[in-house]
Formats: sequence, C-alpha cells, structure tokens
Amino acid sequence: MPRHHAQSSLLTTFRGGVHLAALSAWRMLRSRQTLVNALLLAFALLAAGAWSMRHERTAAQFVQEIFLPLYVSFFLPIFSLCYASAGVAGERQDQTLVYLLATPLPRLVIYLAKYLAALVLVSAWNLAGFAALGRLGGAAGWESFQRFWPAVALSSLAYTSLFHVFSVLLHRATIVSLGYALILEAFLGNMPGIIKRLAISYYTQCLVFDAGKNLGLGPAGGRDPALFLPISGDLAQFVLICVSGTLFLVGLWAFCRREYV
Amino acid sequence: MPLSRETNIVSGSEFLAAQDRSRGEALLEFTGVSKWYGPVIAVNDVSLRLAPGITGLVGPNGAGKSTMIKLMTGQLRPSLGQVRICGRHAWSAAAKSHIGYCPDVDAFYEDMSGRTFVRTIARLHGFAGGDLSRRVEEVLEQVGMADRAERPLGSYSKGMRQRIKLAQALVHDPDLLVLDEPLNGVDPLGRTELVNVFVALAAAGKAIVLSSHILDEMDQLAQRVAFLCRGHILAAGSLPEIREMLADHPLHVRVSTDRPRELAVRLFGVDCVQSVQLENERELLFQVQRPKEFFRVLAETVAEAGFQVDRVQATDTSAEAIFDYVMQTARHL
Repeated sequence: MPRHHAQSSLLTTFRGGVHLAALSAWRMLRSRQTLVNALLLAFALLAAGAWSMRHERTAAQFVQEIFLPLYVSFFLPIFSLCYASAGVAGERQDQTLVYLLATPLPRLVIYLAKYLAALVLVSAWNLAGFAALGRLGGAAGWESFQRFWPAVALSSLAYTSLFHVFSVLLHRATIVSLGYALILEAFLGNMPGIIKRLAISYYTQCLVFDAGKNLGLGPAGGRDPALFLPISGDLAQFVLICVSGTLFLVGLWAFCRREYV
Repeated sequence: MPLSRETNIVSGSEFLAAQDRSRGEALLEFTGVSKWYGPVIAVNDVSLRLAPGITGLVGPNGAGKSTMIKLMTGQLRPSLGQVRICGRHAWSAAAKSHIGYCPDVDAFYEDMSGRTFVRTIARLHGFAGGDLSRRVEEVLEQVGMADRAERPLGSYSKGMRQRIKLAQALVHDPDLLVLDEPLNGVDPLGRTELVNVFVALAAAGKAIVLSSHILDEMDQLAQRVAFLCRGHILAAGSLPEIREMLADHPLHVRVSTDRPRELAVRLFGVDCVQSVQLENERELLFQVQRPKEFFRVLAETVAEAGFQVDRVQATDTSAEAIFDYVMQTARHL
C-alpha cells in the first residue's frame, strides 16, 4: 500500500482547513440553531411588517422604533450566538471534537476554519435578516438597510469573535452566551453612564448614529445624548475591530493550549 | 516480595518493549511521563518504547489507561516528561500524521453514512480527488464495511460503528494505531471479526496499542501487555515472559501421563515443586516455583524414565491470573 505522508505539506493542510470550514458551516446551517434563528427572524419580520402597515414613516423612525431596539439590541446578538457559540462547544458536546484533534491539522487551522465558518454564517444571516427587515419596512426600512448595513457587518464580526471565545472556553457556551446577550447586551447596553461601553451593541448604536447624522438620528427613547455619551463612528469602528481582533487572538491562544478531555 | 528491574517486572517507571526504528527514533516513546489533574496523579513517571505488533494496556478502571491513550494521541500534554511519536511531540500536528486514533466514545456525525464519515476524515487529512475515493474504499474493504457503508451511521450496530471508527483511524495509513476499548459493547460475533481485523493489521506491520479492562481480550490479541494500576506500569512484556518473571509466585501445572503416581514421587523431591496432587488416574496437578527450572527437570525425568506424557498445561498463565499475581506482588512494594 502506498504511503500517504503528504499531510505535512501546506497544500494538504490548506485543503483540510477549507474542507473543515465548509463542513462546519454546512453542519451549523443544518442544525437546530437555524430553526431557532428562523423562528426569531419570522417574529422580527412580523414586527417590521406590522410597523410598515401603519402610515408612512421615515428611515429615522424605522431605526428608532424597529432597528435599534428590536434588531440591534436583541436579535443581532441572539442570531450571532446561535452559530458562533456552537463552533467548538457543539463538537465537544457531540463528542466529535476528538476526530478533528486527531487529524494532522494544526490547531490554529482548526480554530481558523471554525471561526471563518461561524463568521460567514453569522454575517450572512444578520445581513440577510436586516435586508428582509428593511424590505418589509417599506422605503424607510430599505433606506435604513442601505445606510446601516456596515454597522451590522461590524457588529457581526465582534459578536462572532466574542461567542467563539466562549465556545472555546466553555462546555455550555450557548447558555452562557445567551445570558450574556440578554443581560449584558440588552440591559447593560442601555444603562446610563460609561458602563454601557462594555456592550457591543453600544458601539453598533454609535455607528448607526454617526451614519445617520443627516437623518437626525440620536439616542433613542427620549434619552439625553449627554447621558448616552456617544462616541464617533470612526472610534466605534476602531473599537469593534480591535475588540474583534483581540478576542480572536484570545480564542486562538486558548484553543491551541487547551486540553479537551 | 520486592519487584526488581533486573527481573523486568517494573515498579512503574520502565517498560522497554521495543528496539529503535531504523532511523533510531522510537515509534512511540514515553520518557518520565507524569500527568496529574489538580491533586490527582493519573500517570506517574512512566517510560516506555513501543514495537510493531499488538501491545495491550490493561488495568482496572482508573488505572490510567485512558490518560496514557490521550497522552499518546496528543489530546493531553504531560505535566512532566515527554511523549514522542517518531521523534515528534505527540501534541504537535506533525506527530498526528503517524497515528490513527479510534476513540472510546461512540460518537459520530450521526446524519452521515459510514462512507461519508470516513470520506470526511480523509479530506481533513488532505486527501482529494481520485486518491480520496480510492483510499476510502480501501479502508472500508479492510474493515469489512465496503458493502454496508452507504447506510446512515445511526442505523449501525455497535460492531459496525466500531469498524467505521477503525476505518477512519486507518484512512491515512498511520504507523501506529491507538484503539481505546475497541471491543467494548461489541457482540461476540462482531468481537471475533474485529479481533481478526486487528490481527491482520498487526501482521501487515502496523503497531497497535489497545486498552482494555477485559483481560480475556488480551489473551487473544496482545503480543505484549503493560499492566497499569494507579498510574504506574506494574509489569510489561509478553504474558509468558511476565509469568516467568513472577518466579516466586507458584504456577499450577497440569500433567497428563500414563504413570502419574510414579512421576509424582520422582518430582516431589525437587526443590521447585511445592505440592503435587493426583487429580485422577492420569492427571497430576503440580504447584511449582521457578517454572523454568521445573519444566527442565520434568523434561529430564520424562526422558530418563520413559514416561508417556499426553499433555502439560500451565493453568494460570491467562492475563487475568497474571494480573492478579502482579497486583498481589505490587501490594508488597
């Protein structure tokens, strides 16, 4: 029988990594997380549809009444955690991680493949969900989508990085991520003062306010901008990118060192 | 009763089971390896080298078998010492191309068929195109699943699932196969079939390490055995070698001859015979120490006096009996 020791080559590692990313994305897409996300998205779309049936609204109203309170504060972190927190933790729970760790793929490649699979799914779902929401929100909704999709994309990147770290570190990552999303993001993100700066949704809102300046957008719910303490769009973007990069590296470091038994 | 390294019954630190490979690197080498989880020591100062053929890791639950397996497959890192596969750290990705691992967990991507699962693992190993299909079919054939691999994994019997696990471990043609409790829960027929597969793989030049807490399995399978208890290797070698080394433990030998009473009288005066019992009109049961010496004297006596001997059988050379002896001996350490 011929020997098959080409595994050490870069090409086979790359090929294995790409296959793992595709396999992970496909398995996540076919999991019950997609069902949960679809149900939640249906609920969001119903809300947007109901909102649009009322008299004609502006893009600013769509953002203040639907996009920020419903989508950014609640659905975005939930959609993201469904896929991102299942990346490594799901394999651990199903006891299939051992097969991946027994292959000659370096842990860095396994982590990267899992991360990319989650990032692609989370970004695609969040952007597609926002697009559908915008469509149902009428002209105001669609205008909002065209203006604010970069905020959703950056937010998806940050959430993916965060929940993927949970996935690497915690056996029950989905439950912890859910707790984080409901308590920290939905609650803390709307607290007065600077404590909200711990929440990703705060930076997403700052990006939205910055991109929607000419629509007259500002902190929602009658809050005083002095209480919300918004930062500039550029700074919010910088923070989200830095946080994402840092969390990615933390997750990578932990995954490369951790013993999964 | 002290156990000495001279007798190669080891007190937990040395098991030199093999010669080096041609390039001077051991296939698998543990050097002073310890592993602990918090205050609990799972493996304690183990050194060993492995040869081709089948080597069994035997011990009661909690002996450290699974930790040893996880260390050699790079799932765990040693707290002290080194585990090397073909000269590379077992934790490294490079070492893993030399190992095929069949884990004890009965878990798969259940929605896949057996063939798709093996194909998936092969692709993770970097196979593609024609090589991929050819290799997958080869290993499915090797484990006897080629004609049944299209069914979903969820519909397989335990034995079939074990075969698929074995196929995925073999798909990259590793030098070393590590099988964690491979016969656990398999029915007798499936067990026999799997044993035949393991024996064929060993005959084809693979080194196989398998762990089991069922000692009978080792009688059938293993060419060498390492007895583990509380993280130590108590003894290692082939079963007859280990039994031979337990010189101070009496061995029971049943001899069937035409003149049992006369043979009993002749041998009773020999130092190494502790007792002799007439079992029936043709059979004697000797309790002896220093089995080598006894068998030499027996052979001389039979030749001198012209006894007709139908059968000579040591009754307690099974893995289970030897493990009991090793454990008893270890208690005196």
